[in-house]
Amino acid sequence: MLDPLSRQLEQYMTLLSVRQKLVSSNIANADTPDYRTKDIDFESEFREYLTNPLKSAPNVTDVNGLRVKPDGNNVDLDREARLLSENAIRFSVASNLLRGQIKDIRLAISGGGTNS
Amino acid sequence: MSIPISPISIPVAPALSAMPSAAAAGSGASFQSFLQNAVNNVETANAQASDAVANYMSGGNQEIHSMVLATQNADLNFEMFMQVRNKVVSAYEEIMRMQV
Amino acid sequence: MSLFNSLSVSASGMTAERQRAEVLVSNIANAETTRTATGGPYKRQDVVFEAQDVTSPFSSIFDAQMTSQGAGVGISQIITDQGTGDRRYMPGHPDADKDGYVTFPKVNPAEDMVDLLGASRSYEANVSAISAVKDMIQRSIDLFK
Repeated sequence: MLDPLSRQLEQYMTLLSVRQKLVSSNIANADTPDYRTKDIDFESEFREYLTNPLKSAPNVTDVNGLRVKPDGNNVDLDREARLLSENAIRFSVASNLLRGQIKDIRLAISGGGTNS
Repeated sequence: MSIPISPISIPVAPALSAMPSAAAAGSGASFQSFLQNAVNNVETANAQASDAVANYMSGGNQEIHSMVLATQNADLNFEMFMQVRNKVVSAYEEIMRMQV
Repeated sequence: MSLFNSLSVSASGMTAERQRAEVLVSNIANAETTRTATGGPYKRQDVVFEAQDVTSPFSSIFDAQMTSQGAGVGISQIITDQGTGDRRYMPGHPDADKDGYVTFPKVNPAEDMVDLLGASRSYEANVSAISAVKDMIQRSIDLFK
């Protein structure tokens, strides 16, 4: 019953969840020697989903261009803090849109009401 | 009798593009296939929702929002089915009320 | 691994940073301790962080996707620095050796203070992560409404 747009919103939220898990992991390991920041290529993963909805788990990759500290760790807390907020906000937007979708569908199903 | 049966008027919904093309036809034979399709959708959606909830409760790899959406999807399919059923029943009653 | 597991990941970060802070505070407090219960000056300690898998209390044991979507952190060992700090000439000191020198701990309080600030900042970042993830979980539940 949920239309393709709803499915896309769901996948968007799933990818955001994966990204947020990685951000949490990066933050927890901000002081772990030799730990490398992990992330997913969000845009390309989502675009891939649009063409191939059956694709399974996204690819987790290392992030380039981060400064490596003397102990081998390259976590940038500012970057992670920014991503933390951004992911949460995007997730909130998507969930609000989805709530609206569900409400609309429900209204359409029952809103016809008594005409026959 | 030659009085035409008024076709079921389904309220327009965004999801109806996914509905079977039997909805386009107004003939009597499509009621049954339409109902059957609605039943199948409900059963599939219920099975998916049950899987998602069981997976979530047993601590597996289940995203919460996916589980919630699966249950909402099952609810919507069921509500749709109920509406279809109600229309069919009221159409039947209308027919029965007609005097031959 | 659902979002709940990432709460455990952040919690592990908080625990590790707190333990690190405790060790640093101990170093700073004992920067001038020339005599310990075991004899000799205070020996500086360091923690070693290590990425570890953490499980949420509700997750199933055989969750294959766990490591692929982020690992938590733990303290693998606490290293005691066996070296000694400087020796100062203080003949009247109760802990002076036969030459009148007192051996002090090999602690650099300024360095450990800076590390302490870093531990505090990391701790706060983990707290923010828990807060953000909790919000996302709540939004997911709100889809029910």
